[in-house]
Amino acid sequence: MSLIGTRAERAESSVARPGARPFPVNGRAAAFCLFLLAVAWAVDQAGMFSGDVVNEGGWSIAGRFVRAAVRPDLSSELLRLALPSALITLAYAVCGTVLSLAIGIVGGVLSSEVWWQARSRTGRPSRRALLPWLGARGALALPRAIHEAVWGLFFIHVFGLDPISAILAIAIPFGAITAKVFAEIFDETPQGPLRALLGGGASPPHAFLYGLLPAAFPYLLSYALYRFECALRSAAVLGLIGAGGLGYQILLSLESLRYEQVWTFLYALILLVALTDAWSSLLNRRLNVSSTTGLHATMDAPRPAVVGEGGGGRPAAEPHRPRRRSGDFAVRLSLMAAALLIPFSFWYVRAGWGKVFEERTQRNFDLIARDAFPPNLAPALLGDLLHLSAQTLAMSIVAITVAGLGGLLLSFPAAANFTLPGGLFDTGARRGPQVIFGGAILLVTRGLLLVTRALSESIWVLIVLFVLFPGILPGAIGLGLYNLGVLGRLMAEVTENVDNRPLRALLAQGATPAQVFLYGVLPKTLPRCVAYVLYRWEVCIRATAVVGIVGAGGLGRRLSQELTRFDYGAVLTILLCFLLLTFLVDLISAAVRRTLR
Amino acid sequence: MEPRPPVFALRGVGKAFDGPAVLSDIDLCIRPGEQVALVGPSGAGKSTLIGLLNGTLQPTRGEVRVLGHDLSRLGSRARRGVQYRIGTIYQQFHLIDNLRVVHNVNMGHLGRWSLFKAFVSLFWPLEVARARHALEQVGIADKLYARTGHLSGGQQQRVALARVLAQNPEAILADEPIASLDPERAREIMDLLRDLSRRRDKTLVASIHAVEFATSHFERVVGLRAGRILFDCAAGDVTPAMIDALYRIEHEADRGGPVGAGPAWAPQ
Repeated sequence: MSLIGTRAERAESSVARPGARPFPVNGRAAAFCLFLLAVAWAVDQAGMFSGDVVNEGGWSIAGRFVRAAVRPDLSSELLRLALPSALITLAYAVCGTVLSLAIGIVGGVLSSEVWWQARSRTGRPSRRALLPWLGARGALALPRAIHEAVWGLFFIHVFGLDPISAILAIAIPFGAITAKVFAEIFDETPQGPLRALLGGGASPPHAFLYGLLPAAFPYLLSYALYRFECALRSAAVLGLIGAGGLGYQILLSLESLRYEQVWTFLYALILLVALTDAWSSLLNRRLNVSSTTGLHATMDAPRPAVVGEGGGGRPAAEPHRPRRRSGDFAVRLSLMAAALLIPFSFWYVRAGWGKVFEERTQRNFDLIARDAFPPNLAPALLGDLLHLSAQTLAMSIVAITVAGLGGLLLSFPAAANFTLPGGLFDTGARRGPQVIFGGAILLVTRGLLLVTRALSESIWVLIVLFVLFPGILPGAIGLGLYNLGVLGRLMAEVTENVDNRPLRALLAQGATPAQVFLYGVLPKTLPRCVAYVLYRWEVCIRATAVVGIVGAGGLGRRLSQELTRFDYGAVLTILLCFLLLTFLVDLISAAVRRTLR
Repeated sequence: MEPRPPVFALRGVGKAFDGPAVLSDIDLCIRPGEQVALVGPSGAGKSTLIGLLNGTLQPTRGEVRVLGHDLSRLGSRARRGVQYRIGTIYQQFHLIDNLRVVHNVNMGHLGRWSLFKAFVSLFWPLEVARARHALEQVGIADKLYARTGHLSGGQQQRVALARVLAQNPEAILADEPIASLDPERAREIMDLLRDLSRRRDKTLVASIHAVEFATSHFERVVGLRAGRILFDCAAGDVTPAMIDALYRIEHEADRGGPVGAGPAWAPQ
């Protein structure tokens, strides 16, 4: 009662002096100060001030590596190796995505509120439905919190170096993430048609199929495409831990110092990612889901902007160009490609699906489970892990700062509505130079963003480790570069989706482009971009595992060490540390996002 | 004393986007202090005309002179200088929702503020007294530090008006200023627009759907249909027949040809 009272009083006191200048120190300012402190602490942890992070001897090797970029090994011998490797990576990604979508659809329906509402007669979730709903949510939370590389190592220990390890390592965590996002898409889809069908006596599954799924479908498909892009990068990373494919070849060539070969595989990976990227953005345009940025924000964006919350979605009053319907050529071609690619991939990987039911698998699993329980809680280990957890947190903070600032800077030139003709800052002078100038800026920044995100954090770490000693810093740089690419693209989409008319209104009253940027573009994009950075931080803390596995520092490195020693008790303790860290970061990120709202 | 030059002078103006002409053969001269209503059905080209007047759009043929300048011939700095003397309000307000009201009002000053001053003001609002005065004139001084997006539609249109007042332009353009408001709010905004422009001797050009406001709040009414001027006369001379001709639904025979190709219904 007293709490409610004070809240009402506070609300009143802000009305009591209307038009008074508000105190400049508010929640946002406090969050900003905390952020600066956190960055200072993290940079100190990373050893930036204590020196001895740069391996002076590494520069000559790094130079050789960079020079090799312009002359990749294009011998027919190597290309004959690169093609099947690329196909393996692609096939892992396809199989993993297909399975994760299956998990995602089932899990998504079962963990959505609307499904349980539809099943109850009152239209409100009954108490009986609460248990399965919470059960579904809980069952999906754990697989999501563990990075796919860790899953990969686990499955390798169970199944051995079989393709099935790589596929399941993608399918299980991605399935859990997809289920969460699908559930949110279902819940955010307008529910009028569903209610109408239920009111007309349709059974819940029928009503779901006819009343909800058609409206949700473009968003589901768009997210599925995004998942596929992620799966492609993950498949390459899983190669690094021995699953074969492009990642494995990159590692082999890197270890045998054949940098020209490394570049061949890197270019193959970039090409693969670029093609997927172009294809998915084409389909997104065709499906008319330009505002799916909310979905793409993170592995599990809590609030997909399906119905365009606030400033994100396309404003309703903006005149729409007539768009082609979904029956068009690109969509049909994609469906055909998918229909061919999926059976091909399952055939090509030659996974030992039978292994799932083999006795040996059961034995391995029992062995691991017996060793892992109870987790190793020796004080010496816990002391180590506390220190490593702090370092891991520091790594994620440095990484997300680099990624956020860099991504923001690059996102504006990468947005198509700025410098191109007809864009906001089209000088309107001459057409030709504008096209060349604007187009060049756009291409260069987009290319940069593509390369940074195509190589993924772990390959960046391998490259950075030429000149840096293993530790927090190389991991932070690797994670930072990769997330810079992801965030830069997302933020560019935010900028492209901004309602241009208020900005044009400012231009019409004589403001300069720089002023319009300051008063129009930044206020409209910054809150969303900061929210994305915070979401992405949650992804980042999970991904510290994989950069540790490939040789940076922190908890991930310790995890891979304990795994090679088969000390499953310690492994389980480390995984618990990861869970706690993820939980902590989610908590902070959600709290900061609330103050920004 | 020599009569002041026209604020807006259009000669033989046509405007086409990627397709048929939206406006054609527009001749229009608006003198300082005049209050002109643009009426006509949706798609008649009213918004395009407003866009030509504030320099957002350039004509594809003919010449638009704003305050004596042909904007398409000016460099960007000189063009901004002229645009600063023209203020516009819009149907959808076009405010920056997630900024406080004071910043939206201060945007009226951007034409004369340096970038540095504009930057500082975002953190520590400057010229607050002027912003407050502008808001007082539109009756919402208490909303100075409110988040603009939290205000109602009528209040947001008042903020847009305050922005124009802060800008203190020589002419005010209004593109469907009341189409998103309920009748009561619409009347208040129209009264404000009329009184503010009369009291300060501003030229006012407003496109508007509601014909009753056109005759009650303006001196001169220009009727647009299918990109052409159908009539242009004093508000007192507008007859129901003229309005009927303006809004008459096209018959089957009138369709099909290019828009604005001069169909037979044009009485003048």
